[in-house]
Amino acid sequence: MWFVRFLTSSIGKKLIMATSGLLLFLFLCTHVAGNATIFMSSKVFQGYANELHSHPLIVLTFSLGLLAVFLVHIVVGLYLFYQNRAVSNSRYAVCTRVVKNSFASETMPYTGLFLLAFLVVHIFGFTFSPKTVLISVTVKQLLSNFFYALFYILAFAALFIHLSHGFWSMLQTFGVNHPRYNILIARLTIIIPLFFFLVFAGVAFYFMTGLGASY
Amino acid sequence: MSSINLTLKIWRQPNSDALGAFETYLLDGIHTDMSFLEMLDVLNEKLTKEGRDPVAFDHDCREGICGMCGAVVNGVAHGPEKEVTLCQLHMRHFQSGDILVIEPFRSRAYPIKKDLLVDRSALDRIIQAGGYVSVNTGGTPDGNSLPIPSQQAELAMDAAACIGCGACVASCPNGAAMLFTSAKISQLALLPQGQVERKTRALAMVAQMDEEGFGNCTNARECEAVCPKGISIRNIARMNKEFLRAVLAEG
Ligand code: HEM
Ligand code: FES
Repeated sequence: MWFVRFLTSSIGKKLIMATSGLLLFLFLCTHVAGNATIFMSSKVFQGYANELHSHPLIVLTFSLGLLAVFLVHIVVGLYLFYQNRAVSNSRYAVCTRVVKNSFASETMPYTGLFLLAFLVVHIFGFTFSPKTVLISVTVKQLLSNFFYALFYILAFAALFIHLSHGFWSMLQTFGVNHPRYNILIARLTIIIPLFFFLVFAGVAFYFMTGLGASY
Repeated sequence: MSSINLTLKIWRQPNSDALGAFETYLLDGIHTDMSFLEMLDVLNEKLTKEGRDPVAFDHDCREGICGMCGAVVNGVAHGPEKEVTLCQLHMRHFQSGDILVIEPFRSRAYPIKKDLLVDRSALDRIIQAGGYVSVNTGGTPDGNSLPIPSQQAELAMDAAACIGCGACVASCPNGAAMLFTSAKISQLALLPQGQVERKTRALAMVAQMDEEGFGNCTNARECEAVCPKGISIRNIARMNKEFLRAVLAEG
């Protein structure tokens, strides 16, 4: 049974993390494009939202699929975290990290859990918001609250940190490691998460500061 | 020849079952041309003369090729210098007055035998799990009858540089043995001689690695940073591909 062998092996679980991470990353690409319409005007944004929700079957299928991907990513991630904790750093009296900038890789489970908390707030705030209010109005209402917007910005900072290790790590796990491309990959591992941060957090900043008061 | 004075804090543990503890030793007049192991020899001579138990540590070639030596010095496997084994680390890299904390390579899969001496036979069992390489016997093959592109040969040689010291496991925050196993899988997977058993080898070695109780890689890169032979994590990337291909093909 190749599937059992795959699931029970260390490398198989690693590949599941990378695959679910890739799917989440692709989801973020579509999400960031949708959010960017906010900067055009509330009309464009509302138009995008209406268009999306005029296909309820597509929305439902993608939502359920996304939920499954998140569950896999979180469950396998936490399983690996607890398994690895059994052999953690504390085994030495003096522990020195030789690799520079290891902050992101050391904090993967914590930035991940913070993202989970954000997701709960985010889904209850927007996905399950009252259907009588236009979504373009809800976005402005919620994000005009200073602390709500600040929480969003912090969550996107956590996403930046998570992906500043995760993007490279995903490619390494898939076996993409070649001297010809490694510098490019290292650059993309900063540029892509930074792009997500600027657009996602930019929306929160836009309403928080009142810049988008008349959007 | 200059000399330095050191304070050593060394992990002492009489046997696998005993509780260990650090002991502190003051060592004066260590010549800076000595290797780290020679410095430990000086300590052991002193301890022997005083009628105390010398510090047990592994070593053999003392020229950085056998992979027997190794300890964690101030939190870094094989000490602070890049790409050297403990036996090739020289005391000129330390200063008088330094405090050196010396601990054994630790892993769930490395039982401590005594002091700095650990049982790394788990690594041998991973190699054994890889099995044999099928070759046609008969007359000596003609030179160049089996052409290997030079790039491929270089990559295989880079992987084969692994001396199996186990520092990668000792330094990995998760205690994973992926760098070691990937080097051993790569050196054969890259060569024509390794093709017959390529898939079964990858599956068997990964299965043995998991069975020994090593941790899961999270791409922290510490292994590659301390490896005395500079083995690259590119080998781990290759192993992941080898494993995936083998799982899908062999079931
Ligand atoms: C939008 C949300 C998220 C995205 C885009 C994302 C993306 C990624 C990517 C690309 C990786 C690298 C996979 C690899 O190492 O091969 C990763 C790793 C990881 N993620 Fe996420 N993730 C997200 C949310 C979460 C959440 C909610 C958790 C909750 C616990 C989490 C926990 C982890 C952990 C623990 C790892 C490390 C796995 C390892 O290093 O082996 N992530 N993530
Ligand atoms: S004793 Fe042989 S590598 Fe150090």
